[in-house]
Amino acid sequence: MKVKREFYRSFKDLPSEEYLSPGSPLCAGCGGLTTLRQMHKVLGDNVVIVDAAGCMTLLAIYPFTPLRSSWLYTTMGSPSAGAQGLRDALDVLLAKHRMSADDNLQVLVLAGDGSTYGMGLSATSAAIHRGLDFWYLCYDNEAYGNTGFQLSEASPFGSATATSPQGTQQTKKNIFEIWRAHQPPYVATVSAHEPIDLAEKVRRAMTMTGPKLFLALAVCPTGWGFDPALSDEIARLAIETGVWPLKEAIAGQVRHTYIPRRLRPVREYLKLQRRFRHLFQPTLWGETLTYIQEQVNIYWQSVAKAEGAKQPTLA
Amino acid sequence: MVLRIRFHGRGGQGVKTASRIVGTAAFLVGYQVQDSPVYGAERRGAAVVAFTRFGEEAILERGVIEHPDLIVVGDETLLANPAAGVMVGQETATAIFLNAESAQPLVEQYALSPSTIAWDLTRRTQAIVGVASALSVGLAAATARLVGLIPEAQLLSAVRRELMELHLPEGAIAKNLDLASEVFNALPSLEFPLRDGQETPQKISSVLYEGLLRGSPSILNTGNAEQRQTGAWRLERPEVNFEQCTRCGLCFLQCPDGAITLDQNGYPIIDYDHCKGCMLCQTLCPVQAILSKQEVRSW
Amino acid sequence: MVRMLLTGNAAAAWGARLADIDYVPAFPITPQTEIIESLAAWFADGTLQGKFVTLDSEHAMMTAAGAAAATGVRTFTATSSQGLLYAMEALYTIAGWRAPLVLVNVSRGLSAPITLGPDHNDVLAARDTGFVQIHAETCQEVLDSILMAFHIAEDSRVWAPVLVNLDGFYLSFTRESVDIPDEAAVRSFLPAYQPKHPVFRASQPMAQGVAVLDSSIYSYFRYQLHRAVENAGPVHAEVSARFQAQFGRPYGAIETYDTDDAETLLVMAGSFATKGKAAVRHWRRQGKRVGLVRLRLIRPLPVRELTEVLSGRRAVAVLDQSLSPGLGGILYHEIAAALAASPQRPQVLRSFIGGLGGKDISQAEFDYLLEELETVKATPYFGQPELLFTERDRARVRQQLALAGKSPEGG
Repeated sequence: MKVKREFYRSFKDLPSEEYLSPGSPLCAGCGGLTTLRQMHKVLGDNVVIVDAAGCMTLLAIYPFTPLRSSWLYTTMGSPSAGAQGLRDALDVLLAKHRMSADDNLQVLVLAGDGSTYGMGLSATSAAIHRGLDFWYLCYDNEAYGNTGFQLSEASPFGSATATSPQGTQQTKKNIFEIWRAHQPPYVATVSAHEPIDLAEKVRRAMTMTGPKLFLALAVCPTGWGFDPALSDEIARLAIETGVWPLKEAIAGQVRHTYIPRRLRPVREYLKLQRRFRHLFQPTLWGETLTYIQEQVNIYWQSVAKAEGAKQPTLA
Repeated sequence: MVLRIRFHGRGGQGVKTASRIVGTAAFLVGYQVQDSPVYGAERRGAAVVAFTRFGEEAILERGVIEHPDLIVVGDETLLANPAAGVMVGQETATAIFLNAESAQPLVEQYALSPSTIAWDLTRRTQAIVGVASALSVGLAAATARLVGLIPEAQLLSAVRRELMELHLPEGAIAKNLDLASEVFNALPSLEFPLRDGQETPQKISSVLYEGLLRGSPSILNTGNAEQRQTGAWRLERPEVNFEQCTRCGLCFLQCPDGAITLDQNGYPIIDYDHCKGCMLCQTLCPVQAILSKQEVRSW
Repeated sequence: MVRMLLTGNAAAAWGARLADIDYVPAFPITPQTEIIESLAAWFADGTLQGKFVTLDSEHAMMTAAGAAAATGVRTFTATSSQGLLYAMEALYTIAGWRAPLVLVNVSRGLSAPITLGPDHNDVLAARDTGFVQIHAETCQEVLDSILMAFHIAEDSRVWAPVLVNLDGFYLSFTRESVDIPDEAAVRSFLPAYQPKHPVFRASQPMAQGVAVLDSSIYSYFRYQLHRAVENAGPVHAEVSARFQAQFGRPYGAIETYDTDDAETLLVMAGSFATKGKAAVRHWRRQGKRVGLVRLRLIRPLPVRELTEVLSGRRAVAVLDQSLSPGLGGILYHEIAAALAASPQRPQVLRSFIGGLGGKDISQAEFDYLLEELETVKATPYFGQPELLFTERDRARVRQQLALAGKSPEGG
């Protein structure tokens, strides 16, 4: 079940302008980069990106930047505070008529899960709490990717990272609900595999003033251990297995923008990735895999209940 | 007196491991050793470089090797990419080793030193190890043999140690040991005089205040990354079969780098100066209208 | 002009108000809070136009301040002690952006153990950040320095952030009479802020704070910042001259007190220099030729002025309100290095540590210090520091250790 499209019916309707030039040093097949590119197309002109330490910091390496829009690299812990300073300064200049309205910018924080779920959360929580009018894109690749893929608070249960070589027993922090608890006007999960869903969400949020927060599953060939040619396939499987639900919360009200009719087994998603390989070989960790599947099933059962929708056929 | 070796390859070809195997082997022989990779922002497929130095006395050098005695090139396609820096210092190098079928055409094309030796590591690595891009052991064995100061026994011990550290299964290590022996015994030893370090002469320049515009790490030419050509990262090359293409636009939408544009009629145009060769477009094309052509032999 | 009794904190707030600031990102910390409370009130009642916003930490506060300054608004903020250290990463970051703002630090000793009284370990920890650093001795100087600080920060030869320091409690909560200059006079001294470099605007996209991996250009940018802070020396002198012409109060990079014929000099910084001046007056009455040098500009370090005034004297003591464990007084070492090149450098250069955590410095301690200088012919440079500590201090320590359950035998 997909929600009714309001703005874009097909790929052809999506804005075709490019705001990122090629030539960045990010990994081939980077899911985070695709997400940023797609989101920027809908945001359009006049954007300043406030960046946190993470993979995307490498987008702009002196003297080159692929972004045709503006960029400010801050720190790992305070991009949302940088956004506050920028937004406030622009508002003050507008109010004092020291800047023309044409010079105004939309402020977009760009942060990975390392910053978003951990070090940067205090500054972001405060910015949401103050009702700062800004966009936030978390490219969540479920670990500290830029330093070589170490465990983060976004790493899913069972996944191996450079600092959880046998697979972590911690579960992924629910940042969507943490954000939603702040009651911002808009929160959404997105995936580059569903560019129309993503564009619809950005477009919907555009009419809103205040924090507009996007959590993207950024598939990561380098860290997750799969051939970059499979980037879109992995992103698709994350959605079809129900591991990555597509949803939004408008003024706190959650709705899923896609509810699969039938969930594919999570194994199909996990087995393609090196970070879950230890669950399959040399011995099959059946109980662990069953547990992961159960967690997904429980989630979708509760979604069906809460939204009065038809429950997907469980795997 | 030090011997300096500089290894060139692409991210993922095991250049760092090659430098470590040679380092460990020299260490086992009893030399003073230094080895180090350069970590840049580049990723899989991009040019990478690593260094090994060894000698009989304490090595009073650090960092980048500008004047190597031996240049080891894991991937001949890097010669075409000046940014990879393969040629830096080649005029003072004693020898160059190329992983290629034959040296002569490359020596002519790139005006390489006449003491360039080529050997087809890719083919043998594919045959013995089963992965054409797993070049680390072959490169290390070739190096050990060419410099003539590392016996086979120490080379093999070093291969075992380094591969165990990478948690390679025993079967894969055994195959790599076979490869090491074969390469080692197939190549000649050259005369490498150990010598003091050299430096390109330079003049000192003073840095004065140059105004507020120049003084911060800001870029005014936004979007200028287009001048950086990432096409050289490509291991495979996607090609569109326009007869089959339905102009759905999916490849354009999903290309992470925006290296695919649509022409007036909606057909995809691939920007080969920038396409990194992730081949995502080929996988997702609903009608298989994108084909793959191998670009780098050793992959 | 109005003359009023103002605390150091109120003087700081007045300085910011007269500078017609646009933006204050804030975070409370003792003993700085009154500054931001005053500013909040003035933004609330319309006295100041722009925005006051409370952040979640000093790290966030400094990031917001830098981003706003890089967008072209006149930005002011204030912190203290742990807050300055919490912001440390952001201090370096925004100095690297060359964000021309003014930060007031209200000095307070550092944890552990956590304390409230002032010393200079907090502000001196920020000496390598790329901020220009001015230390005030009086409430008047706090106000005046903030006006001068914006002038220096926004000068195209500097274009770097400026930190103005005042000591907690001894200035922050102490009222003194302060001349508050007329707004019109201040406007003519410090015109409205006009960015002279690109700022964030839709019509001129810019990437700022970009990662630099090439070490040549990294070195270049860091050295440009050094040159900029270095330029703040002559710019400070120019701005001081203009300030004096307009408001009558002179400010040098260093202040000299009874130095003309002095054989012995005492070097201090901040509000405790007032105590040093009292000691000098006391000694002068006894016929001793002693004077005091107060360091006002600490970054850039006024090496020429220091060398000029200290050379040719018999003995110099540097009384640091800071301690670098394993080294000693921080300013002592900077001054010893500055004097190293002077052929007439003093034979005696001693390091004393006093006023840690705001501990008072009594006349007895000053007398001891002078005696120590008088009884030696020469000292090695970079010698051991000596902590100024009295029997009374010792008794208090003994008593408290006993109460805390520690045996008198030590260990």
